[in-house]
Amino acid sequence: MLEKMIEMIEKNASSMAEDLKERLLNNPDTKSFQTLDDKALYEDIHALYSRLGYWLMRDPEKGDVRSYYTELGKRRRMDGFSLSELVRSLILMKRHIWDTVLQKGIMDAPVELNSGIDLITYLNRFFDFAIYYTTLGYYKSLGVNLT
Amino acid sequence: MLTRKIVDLVQNNATELSKAIVKQILNHPTTKSYRNIDENALFQMIYDICSRFSYWLAEDNERGEVKEHYRNLGKHRFEQGISLPEVISALYLTKRKLWEFISADRDVNSSLDLNQILETSFLLVRFFDHAVLHVTEGFEEKLKEKYGYEAPLKDPKRFAEAMAEKEKKMEVMKEEPKLPELCFTKGMIRLEG
Repeated sequence: MLEKMIEMIEKNASSMAEDLKERLLNNPDTKSFQTLDDKALYEDIHALYSRLGYWLMRDPEKGDVRSYYTELGKRRRMDGFSLSELVRSLILMKRHIWDTVLQKGIMDAPVELNSGIDLITYLNRFFDFAIYYTTLGYYKSLGVNLT
Repeated sequence: MLTRKIVDLVQNNATELSKAIVKQILNHPTTKSYRNIDENALFQMIYDICSRFSYWLAEDNERGEVKEHYRNLGKHRFEQGISLPEVISALYLTKRKLWEFISADRDVNSSLDLNQILETSFLLVRFFDHAVLHVTEGFEEKLKEKYGYEAPLKDPKRFAEAMAEKEKKMEVMKEEPKLPELCFTKGMIRLEG
């Protein structure tokens, strides 16, 4: 059942990535995303949605989750973004995935509810580390002797 | 609305839960600087979340008190010399411990309805999302105050420049590709009208 939920996100990756891209571009609290190339922004989002299963099952404390998000934090700092915008965008992404699962109405039976709890656990674990490493990358790249 | 059973479960075990969370924060490699602050104050802060669980997770507090409280916490931690990644990690360790405690019940005796657990997890996640976001904002305010650092794109002039640069790049991409100029070499015949 958990696999079914993940598969549903992966199958809808294109339309979902387009939707989140528009939300980020139109949200006044994530205004800096407007300065990025639209296609690159779409591809960044699509890369996660289309392989959600792969990302969620990785050990987020090390490997590519760690290196990808640490690098993302550094890169966006260089692009001129604020850290709160980045944190907000990752929170929006997590909610977007969760809202899509709820909207598709695939959590009615008890077995589905159990899978829903598993999904929210995996999603949170992943995004907690994504936010943590993004912050770490951003923070380190400030390059001043901060507290 | 939070179910009474879950609220009671957390609030009745607030002391033990808070002690376990403090212990984890003090021993975790990502939150080392917390060893330099007053342990009792840290305990009190976490105990406040656990003992007033229903209050903090209530929707009405989302924009008001949670925002104010965690912005101030971000500023306070900055002044205490704790880095932002450590503050965020401490919040996530707290959330994870609470979530483990609540969700463990579904495996042990199923006394909690799955719907209730799912709903609580949603409220818990939402609360900590706001906490992390506002702690970051508070920290950024202090960065500006102490080091004069503000994200460049917050400046309207820099933002406009970045947008103009993006437009320029887009224009180049939109231009029709030019064919390379023909080069006539010996032996080729040029046909002129």
